[in-house]
Amino acid sequence: MRSLSRRFGTAFLAMPLVVKIALMWLIFIVAAAIYSRLDRLFGQALPLQDPFYQPFLFGEARPVEGPSTAHYLGTDVLSRDNLARLLHGAWVSLIVAATVVSFGLVFGGFIGAFVGYTRGKVETVTMATLDVILAFPPLVLLLALVAVYKVRNLTMIALVFGVLGIPTYVRIARASTLGVAGREFVQAAEAIGTKRTAILFREIIPNIMPALFAYALINAGYVIVIEGTLSYLGLSVQIPEPTWGNMINEGRRDIRQTILPIFWPGLFLTLSVVSLNLVGDWLQQRVAVRSSAL
Amino acid sequence: MLGKVLVVKTVRLIATLFAVSLLTFLLVEQLPGDPILAILPPGGLDDLETIERIRKELRLDDPVLTRYFRWAGDALQGDLGKSYITDQPVSDAIKDRIPVTMELALLATLIAAFLAIPIGAISAYREGGYFDRTMSAFTTAALSIPGFLAGIFFIWLFTLKFNWLPSTGWNRITDKGLLANLQTAILPAGALALAPLAINARLIRADMIGTLKEDYILSAKAKGLRDRYILMRHALRPSSLTAITVFALQLGGLIGGTVVIENVFALPGLGTRLISGIYQRDVVMIQGITLFIATVYVVVNALVDLLYAALDPRIRRQ
Repeated sequence: MRSLSRRFGTAFLAMPLVVKIALMWLIFIVAAAIYSRLDRLFGQALPLQDPFYQPFLFGEARPVEGPSTAHYLGTDVLSRDNLARLLHGAWVSLIVAATVVSFGLVFGGFIGAFVGYTRGKVETVTMATLDVILAFPPLVLLLALVAVYKVRNLTMIALVFGVLGIPTYVRIARASTLGVAGREFVQAAEAIGTKRTAILFREIIPNIMPALFAYALINAGYVIVIEGTLSYLGLSVQIPEPTWGNMINEGRRDIRQTILPIFWPGLFLTLSVVSLNLVGDWLQQRVAVRSSAL
Repeated sequence: MLGKVLVVKTVRLIATLFAVSLLTFLLVEQLPGDPILAILPPGGLDDLETIERIRKELRLDDPVLTRYFRWAGDALQGDLGKSYITDQPVSDAIKDRIPVTMELALLATLIAAFLAIPIGAISAYREGGYFDRTMSAFTTAALSIPGFLAGIFFIWLFTLKFNWLPSTGWNRITDKGLLANLQTAILPAGALALAPLAINARLIRADMIGTLKEDYILSAKAKGLRDRYILMRHALRPSSLTAITVFALQLGGLIGGTVVIENVFALPGLGTRLISGIYQRDVVMIQGITLFIATVYVVVNALVDLLYAALDPRIRRQ
């Protein structure tokens, strides 16, 4: 355990400064999202304001206030606390991104490795099926799918995103598998009569994971953008549940007075995506170096 | 050789289009709520006879596959049905709105291409220099900012702060002339162009860094040719193939990307019609526009694929 933390420490020190900052921002966002969730589970026991409370109804605050000690990041168009809404919005982005990534790594990784290693008809049929899904512009397919549901909650949105994300992971996993399957260590395992299932799980999958993982980070950034876009159009998780996208949408109403209610979620959204891209790029370069040395 | 490739690709294209249309139809079929409810006049719920008549007229009681083939057959002849809600034929709606969407996509491609080429070329020429590092930061940012956010930011900056341009609405070229049209088109096209601009600049940079190491560049330098001449005439030419392919590929993606940008700027394009169709649960409209956009996307991608194969002998041989 100690060596693991030390290895992580050395890896962290070896990162360029921007990547370090990016990683720290991501850790902050994940922590903030979990914090806001715990706050809701414990019935607002933690120091964080209620994201739904509209103090102006009780004469306690005005809509679109600037930052103050009562509301550190000001209030939105309905006088709700911006900070609380931002953190709760982080939870939505986090869950959707995490679902897509875990579905992609688990199902996409397995299917891709399986068809890439066994080849044959199953591979042809699988890839042709997935090509149909990839033939749509992603946003348009999502719009058509999401329109089907009358009630849109986080579980349903996360599942739709998760399932639609799988095809790209299958493609990448399959492509990496094709590269790995011809390698000497796979041939060696085959020569000594290792079962094909064992080769798949012990030789192939561990070796395609780094490439998939690097893609997953960049994909997570893309997913957060797409979820934000759907939210902005009012077609993701429904209001009053705060998401970064619907906060931006609601903020447009008072854009002539102040841009702050748009600025904060915009900043959180952009910084998170930039960070995921930076860490993902960095990881991808390291993976490329590693696999060429393999 | 090329003929065989052409046949294989055409068959694949047709198969993909068939699957895409089937998926579009089935997806939207799942919309909850009886489409009849949208058509009935208020209080018409008790009028069982009318309901029965409309059902018969629209032939909603046929099996799903029968209805699919009727819909797809009509679609092949350019008839995508009529909106249950506004009674407007979907093909008319598309004809009416496609110019806006096409113009935005083309303008965005042009902006992205014209800015990306010099940015990529100069970054490659002075690799690791001040300009290169600034542009690398810019492309990272441009790739990460969602299009709709960039659009809102542009509106805030150029119309609310500087008051240079109108924020929303659309001037048709035919009504008000090119200049008035560009005034309304430039901001959305700019917001749309950010991501492809960043991708293109990066690709051209990477490509040219490789090209600049070639021997023929060295010999051009030895001949005493000026740097700018070498950059533009000798180095850019081999990279242009990559660039053209990428530009064309992005055009397909941009048609999808305009959906949200049109909404931000309230432009009368295909995207706003699709979204309003979704809000109104207008089954026929959603099906028609989704099928249209997906078809354009698939066909453009297939054409680019072919173009690439025709241009680059290395790919043709594979």
